[in-house]
Amino acid sequence: MGGVVVIGVGNRMMGDDAAGPAVIDRLAGRLAPGVRLVESVGDATHLLDSWGGAQQAIVVDAVVAGGAPGTVHRVDGTEGFPSAWRSASTHLIGVAEAIDLGRAVDMLPEQLVVYGIEIESVAPGVELRPEVEGAVGLVAGRIVEELS
Amino acid sequence: MHVKVVDDRIEHVDFSIFEPPRFFEAFLRGRPHTDAPDITARICGICPIAYQMSSVHAMEGAFGVTVGGALRELRRLIYCGEWIESHALHVYLLHAPDFLGYESGIHMAADHRDVVEQGLRLKKAGNAVVTLLGGREIHPINVRVGGFYRVPTKKELEALVPELEWSRDAAVATIKFVSGFTFPEAEMDFEYVSVSHPDEYPFNEGRIVSSKGLDIDVSEFNRYFLEEHVERSNALHSRVRERGAYHVGPLARYNLNFEKLTPLAQKTAWEVGLGETCNNPFKSIIVRSVETLYAVEEALRIIDAYDEPAEPFVAYDVREGEGHGATEAPRGMLYHRYRVSEDGRIADAQIVPPTAQNQLTIESDLRYVLERHLDLPDEELSWVLEQSIRNYDPCISCATHFLDLTIERA
Repeated sequence: MGGVVVIGVGNRMMGDDAAGPAVIDRLAGRLAPGVRLVESVGDATHLLDSWGGAQQAIVVDAVVAGGAPGTVHRVDGTEGFPSAWRSASTHLIGVAEAIDLGRAVDMLPEQLVVYGIEIESVAPGVELRPEVEGAVGLVAGRIVEELS
Repeated sequence: MHVKVVDDRIEHVDFSIFEPPRFFEAFLRGRPHTDAPDITARICGICPIAYQMSSVHAMEGAFGVTVGGALRELRRLIYCGEWIESHALHVYLLHAPDFLGYESGIHMAADHRDVVEQGLRLKKAGNAVVTLLGGREIHPINVRVGGFYRVPTKKELEALVPELEWSRDAAVATIKFVSGFTFPEAEMDFEYVSVSHPDEYPFNEGRIVSSKGLDIDVSEFNRYFLEEHVERSNALHSRVRERGAYHVGPLARYNLNFEKLTPLAQKTAWEVGLGETCNNPFKSIIVRSVETLYAVEEALRIIDAYDEPAEPFVAYDVREGEGHGATEAPRGMLYHRYRVSEDGRIADAQIVPPTAQNQLTIESDLRYVLERHLDLPDEELSWVLEQSIRNYDPCISCATHFLDLTIERA
């Protein structure tokens, strides 16, 4: 076990849902060579594969939790997941589901940090709204600090 | 999903979990034709390959390009990978919990960790195929009009073999395992529609056929099928113009193409009592498992026969034209149509995903289920309905993956 992975969760064609992948774009070339950058739509089993074998994972996802768009949250993913962030999905799509599944089959990295960037809604589009764009820059900066 | 019940009578069922990809169709207009595979791959995070395949076939049709030999085989191979991943996810983590009495795959994992782990490993074997050929497992970027940007070496493909051999045994075990579940009785009279090819279980190529006698060229899709706007929602419902609702997906493919499955897949299907046809949507979990076995064996066959082609793609000249593609996404036939201008830009795009085609069938099935379970409390009713929906493995638009069920009783 070893290594560090940063996973941006979201769909680039779904407006502010692209916040996670946008952070990955901002991190290109700014982290130590061994750090893996992964983009994911959030399928729980893909997340397990993505952080499988890593000692430390940082996941960035867009969340709808009732706060102002662009608000940044940082939580320890190994300690569970804020219930307000949970989707009603029974389709195993989402970071919360991946964490629960990972815990059940013992596939969680030792350190797991989740950054949630508040968005208002998910709708088709290729632009981030300015508040979310700002948060993307902020989160990328914090990840660079965290991993330096 | 919205259900309205008045005096114990169902007044209205509106199932519109699926948003049609109108945004994508509009977004593609005016963009280079080469963008279609990458952009449409983002419509669904679970089946990006299907979108890429239908789009490249449509473009190649417009330009009069034929992709054959090893490149054609590699396209079947990447599709095998997508079927394995998608079916393993659905069978093990979404559908099996319904039969074993768990709320979700996560809850099931506590008691049946070995089952969940087997599913995860099978899915990973599919991922490995898609990653190698696609360049990236989610939203692959290596597929292009005419072929691939880069093709794998024989050695790279052979590295997949041991895990695929394990998967073949696991897939047989899966068929036996899921066929032991208890299935509610159901015998549906669907019009099944799938792509059909004389020599192959369908992935990329063939005519569009149905269990009620339809047998058409892919380019005739709009002449025989109709997309209709549904009142009060953005949803589109597809119907066969002459008849109405129809069904695409594993049941349709299986019922229309059984004899093209591998001998082992056919034999195992017989052994577990599935037979050549299956009209019970609950048993689609067995059919998905049989298709998983097929996909694993087909992948092994392709890898064994592979000779690296001299060029990773077929060169072509851009010309004005219209092209159509229908390929078999894990959850059913996916149709694309593009009109391309002289300069190679997309003038018009039409994308008809499997879930949009199944919506009318799912809705009528839900009505059937509702009529029989109206006396249940809302929460239990909701659960029964969710199970019925899961039989169809609908593509929940990945960004808006909420199943919102409203039952209004008056």
